Amino acid sequence: MAALIAARGLTKTYRLGQVDVPALRGVDTTVDAGEFVAIVGPSGSGKSTLMHILGCLDTATAGSYHLDGEDVSRFAGKRLAQVRNRKVGFVFQTFNLMPRLNVEENVALPLKYRGGVPRSERRERARALLERLGLSHRIGHRPDELSGGERQRVAIARALVGSPAILMADEPTGNLDSHAGAEVLATIEELHRDGHTIVMVTHDADVAARAQRTIHIADGRVVA
Amino acid sequence: MTIYESVLAGLEEVRRHLGQTLLSLLGLILGTGSIVTVLALFGGQGELTQQFIEEVGGVGTIIVSDRDEALRPTARELASKRLTYRDAAFLKARARSLLAVSPGWARNLAYRVADVSFEGQVIGTVPDYAFINDIRPLVGRYLSDLDLRQRARVTVLGWAYADSLFGTAPRALHQLVSIGDRSFRVVGVMEREEFYFAAWSGNALAYRNRRAYIPITTAQTLFSPDDRLSFLTLKARPEHGAAAAETEVTSLLFARHGVEDFDIRASGQRGSEDQQFFLLFNFIFLVVGVVSLFTGGIVIANIMLASVVERVREFGTRMALGATAGGIFTHVLAEVVVVTILGGVLGLALGTALTGTVAHFMQMPAVVTPVIAGSAIVTAAVVGLLAGIYPALRAARLSPVEALRYG
Repeated sequence: MAALIAARGLTKTYRLGQVDVPALRGVDTTVDAGEFVAIVGPSGSGKSTLMHILGCLDTATAGSYHLDGEDVSRFAGKRLAQVRNRKVGFVFQTFNLMPRLNVEENVALPLKYRGGVPRSERRERARALLERLGLSHRIGHRPDELSGGERQRVAIARALVGSPAILMADEPTGNLDSHAGAEVLATIEELHRDGHTIVMVTHDADVAARAQRTIHIADGRVVA
Repeated sequence: MTIYESVLAGLEEVRRHLGQTLLSLLGLILGTGSIVTVLALFGGQGELTQQFIEEVGGVGTIIVSDRDEALRPTARELASKRLTYRDAAFLKARARSLLAVSPGWARNLAYRVADVSFEGQVIGTVPDYAFINDIRPLVGRYLSDLDLRQRARVTVLGWAYADSLFGTAPRALHQLVSIGDRSFRVVGVMEREEFYFAAWSGNALAYRNRRAYIPITTAQTLFSPDDRLSFLTLKARPEHGAAAAETEVTSLLFARHGVEDFDIRASGQRGSEDQQFFLLFNFIFLVVGVVSLFTGGIVIANIMLASVVERVREFGTRMALGATAGGIFTHVLAEVVVVTILGGVLGLALGTALTGTVAHFMQMPAVVTPVIAGSAIVTAAVVGLLAGIYPALRAARLSPVEALRYG
């Protein structure tokens, strides 16, 4: 099976005034379709930078990156936004739901940005996902009426609504109590069993242990 | 894409910070309000002005006057006799584009009947004067061509003078009145003329009731060493038009004078004092309105900028979900425009109330037309577009990574 993610020699250097600060120093990594991978490392190791590049939120200073067979390392602006919309689903530590929109509207948002998806289809797909994640009774609620665990599951539904090639989760349990965290992890594992490809960034060893495979990052390099 | 959502977001902003939003919109509301008021009053005033021009002779009336003498006049200028009664007679005979020619001679002379006496204006003129100015005698008749040829000592009194000299207008008819120590027979009394720009502004035509008309030939024989005119009013034939008439008159007069020592203008080009007062009044209001709109726009831009900074992470998330920079730009801009249109609606309400109040207390015709209402809303939307550009650019230029990390 062809690798879904194939990165070669990824380098990222931030320029702070006169000083170049390297965040990634040549990372090679591959993720196959259907894998559940955890990226772990201490803070400042470069794991977030790696995920931002793999999720097409940022571009590498040097190196090549193929996502789902497409060389996205030279994309920018609108094309990169399109790749994010179609290929990547994001789950954030702080959920990042739109406070003014209800649950269904939040979930359907990526389809709105995609354009050309009729309103009825957007609703249908959002409702189907919410039902699958056990949130049907929350469809009309605002995010601030939900528990933390429910908010994160709404965020997961939003990440999946566009049928992305890969789900990127950045510390998905970081803002949850242990019970809600376990619930969210169980949801992610279930998605993996259903065939979704998942890349999760975490600094929690227990959370990382739930993944199939772990990529350890330290000082901007893959160490294991 | 998400215009609907932007509109929703804008309304939500308004709802959540009602007091703050109204405060930030205050400048815009006041600005729109005062512009609406000015346009409404101006519209009413414009209609009155049109009526006034009709009243004093209408469109197509041409006024010829002596040009101010140069500081060092040339020989030709010195040689010219300026505008004379003979010029008027010449134009009457030769200018094909003219319907009427009304030369005038004006002087202040003493009026006396028995023991009533005062100083007042006397106009020496011709029958055409009544035609051009659209005035009619109340009793008796106006000056005739025969009066002119005979240099008759007859006069037609203005309504107010007939009243003050003889008690009532009909009683003045056929009486003798001494004007400039010469005796004149009253052959007619004019109708009372009146026109009001506003109830408080007084009769704009009152001066016309306080004068007497005598034949210009009589006036120049008795009271004048030469036949120079005080004014010359012409009426163009409708089929020729005022512009053609002006051209013809200019060339005819130039041929007689040998120099262009006269000015020609169409009636209505210079407003009365009342109108000029209103123009100033409107102009001040308009300036206040524009300044308010400007400061209002800056305040809105500032508040929107703060709102963008407050919601950086939201924009980062939207970008992560696939929003393009252009999409974010439109989103923020639409939000600002929704808020400013609301301000425009409130300003329109304020302006309508203000117009009603002013119109009521000053007894002036003024109405907020659909066009004025439409332009108020459009103006508010334009202020929103301009004020929103910078905040929208700031939001659109965010890097997704930086924006997500923020806060």
